[in-house]
Amino acid sequence: MEHGFVIAHAWLIPALPLVSFALVGLFIRPLSARWAGIVATSSIGLAAALAYTLAWEYWTLFPAGQHAESLVPWSMEWLRYKEGLVVNIGVLVDPISIVLMVVVTTVSGLVHLYSIGYMHGETGYGRYFTYLNLFTFSMLGLVVAPNIVQMYVCWELVGVSSFLLIGFYYDRPSAVAASKKAFIVTRFADLGFMVGVLVLGYWGYGLFETVAPALATEPGALPLQPFDFRYLNSPEFLAAFGSIPAFFGLSLLSVAMLLVYTGAAGKSAMFPLHIWLPDAMEGPTPVSALIHAATMVVAGVYLTARLFPAFAASEDALLAVAYIGGFTSLFAAVIALTQDDIKRVLAFSTLSQLGYMMMALGVSQMAESLGYTASMFHLFTHAFFKALLFLGAGAVIHAVHTNDIWQMGGLARKMPITHLTFLVATLAISGIWPFAGFFSKDEILAAALHGHFTVLFYVALFVAGLTAFYMFRIYFVTFWGAHRAHGAEHAHEAPLVMTLPLMILGVLSAVAGFVPFGQYVHMGEHVEHGGIDFAVALPATLAALAGIGLSAFFYATASERAAKAARFFGRAYRVVKQKFYVDELYLFVTKQIIFHLIARPIAWFDRHVVDGGVNLSGWSIRTLGSESSRLQTGQVQTYGLWFAGGSVVLLFLIWAVHV
Amino acid sequence: MTTFLAAQTPGLTHWIVLSGVLFAIGVYGLLTRRNAIGVLMSIELMLNSAALNFVVFNHFRAPAGVDGQIMAIFVIAVAAAEAVIAMAIFVAIYRRRGTLDVTSMDALKD
Amino acid sequence: MIQAAVYTLLFYLFGGATIALALVTVLNRRMLRAVMGLMGVLAMSACFYIMLSAEFLAGVQILVYVGGIVVLMVFAIMLTQTVDVLVEVPHWSRRALAGAAALALLLAVAGLGAGVPLEAPAGAGIPEDNTVAIGKALMDYGPRGYVLPFEIISLLLLAAAIGGIVVARKTAPEDQPLTSGGDLADEGLLQTAHTQRDEEAWVPES
Repeated sequence: MEHGFVIAHAWLIPALPLVSFALVGLFIRPLSARWAGIVATSSIGLAAALAYTLAWEYWTLFPAGQHAESLVPWSMEWLRYKEGLVVNIGVLVDPISIVLMVVVTTVSGLVHLYSIGYMHGETGYGRYFTYLNLFTFSMLGLVVAPNIVQMYVCWELVGVSSFLLIGFYYDRPSAVAASKKAFIVTRFADLGFMVGVLVLGYWGYGLFETVAPALATEPGALPLQPFDFRYLNSPEFLAAFGSIPAFFGLSLLSVAMLLVYTGAAGKSAMFPLHIWLPDAMEGPTPVSALIHAATMVVAGVYLTARLFPAFAASEDALLAVAYIGGFTSLFAAVIALTQDDIKRVLAFSTLSQLGYMMMALGVSQMAESLGYTASMFHLFTHAFFKALLFLGAGAVIHAVHTNDIWQMGGLARKMPITHLTFLVATLAISGIWPFAGFFSKDEILAAALHGHFTVLFYVALFVAGLTAFYMFRIYFVTFWGAHRAHGAEHAHEAPLVMTLPLMILGVLSAVAGFVPFGQYVHMGEHVEHGGIDFAVALPATLAALAGIGLSAFFYATASERAAKAARFFGRAYRVVKQKFYVDELYLFVTKQIIFHLIARPIAWFDRHVVDGGVNLSGWSIRTLGSESSRLQTGQVQTYGLWFAGGSVVLLFLIWAVHV
Repeated sequence: MTTFLAAQTPGLTHWIVLSGVLFAIGVYGLLTRRNAIGVLMSIELMLNSAALNFVVFNHFRAPAGVDGQIMAIFVIAVAAAEAVIAMAIFVAIYRRRGTLDVTSMDALKD
Repeated sequence: MIQAAVYTLLFYLFGGATIALALVTVLNRRMLRAVMGLMGVLAMSACFYIMLSAEFLAGVQILVYVGGIVVLMVFAIMLTQTVDVLVEVPHWSRRALAGAAALALLLAVAGLGAGVPLEAPAGAGIPEDNTVAIGKALMDYGPRGYVLPFEIISLLLLAAAIGGIVVARKTAPEDQPLTSGGDLADEGLLQTAHTQRDEEAWVPES
């Protein structure tokens, strides 16, 4: 098949940030910090332009509403274990990878642009852009991965670069702790992913001979390999794999998918692996925007979507995805109600929205895949308004030098552009027509309802109300009312390089919902209708309006109502404020149980048995050496005596052998 | 008496035992002599017994040839060379250290 | 008949004398007497060579050993002023060990050789002129000749002669510091390797 130029050269999109990463990191950064920012930003901008062209070419090839094929326009052999077990690297072009490429390059490019202003004058300015480029490359590499091994490699690269960025202020102990926490928690989850990959790879390879011949190979492409998504997602493989029983009534497929989902849940911060995300706020604010909107956390959702046919083949795994997603969205939304740090509220709202996306994937089926589309749609819209919220929050923090919303207030007049764009984003996340969030959230709710997940539908509806409430809470507290602190009085609008991304994202947040997303992104032949389901939209809008109203009642004017309400809930309020003590629970488990019951005995074993063994061997050799060195007396006659004794023994041996 | 003695003509074994005893005495001297020249003399003793062995075997096992005797000549030559060098070294050591006690010669220990 | 009897008699006489002289060589505490013992052993060996029909070798033995090496040793003993000194005797345990080792070595060889048939093949004649045969063999460059080893030995002797001169030559006054000594034994072999502690250990006790 004849592809367009950009499709054929889609590898350029991840390659550009990689080249720029190397260039900026090795050559430009030491010379000029200013140029480091410019080069890094323009490389992402170029990649974004390519991504848009790619999308345009692709949907020219496969017009909206028609079946869209996955293309692998470029791939090469990477690891050859043996004949028939080869891992390729390549570029996969299909609707969801294109959506992600567009989102990642757009948001990342705007974050780069914004960072030029935000990070101005900071030490490590060039290093920051180097890391940002690496982060973007990792995410793009993950997005275009045509096989699960490449995805895993880039997945870990994302983890490393997030570690670097969260710990960017490495002289702050809290940032160091947060970066370690993010790395260790996601790494812990990745263990599950890795085992899942191994299980899938083992059986994928085992079943390859019987299954693969049924799958046609695209002409010109490299032969199909056991790790390829096309193979892993094929109904033939899933049917063969799904019939293998494992234990406790789960099929081996379910076990593998649950393991893979562990990794996805770790990166996407699903309960109970969510604890790293709020702490990840220790990085620079644009990094938070990038992590929360375009990279890192959506990786988990993307992985689940990428393997959606495999998940769909396992009812248990899909149910886990749905309920964990639903629970996380509720759980995080409740915590978000009580937080005072503007970035933490946004972090918990991210958790909540990711829960939505996961839930949407969980409630859909291969035949009824509205949720799949909805999830990707919400990922798409959420990326814009969440990036906008973070960048807006960054502008505010930049202006008032604090994260505490109670130190802000009355910023609407001081920072009109920030205020306006923040309002747009808040409306979008609350799901008010005609902003982007309304459409995607509507689809998720519709998917839950049509999938007969009634409980999850009502949970999601309730969460929609909560979302509107807490988002407008920070909006009112930050931008309305009087200045509560000295910093807020002297706040002024951010420079153009920062407000420009805000405005672009504001426009995108406002209009992204009108994209006929279901026409472009759908599972198989099934094309989703793009209309609005009023049975869903009406209660959702009402819930959002109720949330806004309640928020206005409590926070729009300075009053004691909020404090009274907090006192009314008393103990429950404190529990929520302390994030349900999940962190403390983790600390208890790690410090008390794991440390005392596992780590200490292991440390003892290591120190006394392992080290003891090593020391013993060293000591014995040293003693042997020093003792035997006494044989070297320098006395030639002593040597002669030994020699004579040795000769006698040798002659005796010869005699014993021969006689 | 004469008859008895004539019947007792020493054979190969007797000669070998003789040279073996001489060699063993040389070994004993090598291991016990404190004076370096004494050690060297013990070595000469051992070399001499070895040379004797060559000649004995030449005489009894291959009387047609002279190879054993030639070996003995070589042994004597090597012993001479060795004695020359050793004596020179002993003289030099004595000039420096004032003693030829082999137990004090342990400089190669470290 | 009488010849054979004398031969036997001579073997035991000379053999006993040789062992006794060898014991003098290794046991006597006066070096000059020990070297005389050695000379006796070597002279006796010359007699053995004659008894073993190796007359030329006997001559060589006397010339080189008695006339050369023993004289050299006598000179060395005199040069090192050990003529009147009673050589120390090592500790009895060392002597016992050495004796045991020597005896064990002898017995081991004897045990090993006991099984080997040693008696001569009958009928082989002795060459008439031993000396001529040796001379021919030494000059023979054929496959069984010894001309190459002979030349190598001559080179060895030449090198030993030169080496002996170099080593023993006195190039520095004796009161010079230890490091400035020019001769090989001082500098090359002994001086450079050891530490100050050993330097002190080397100082004579007198």
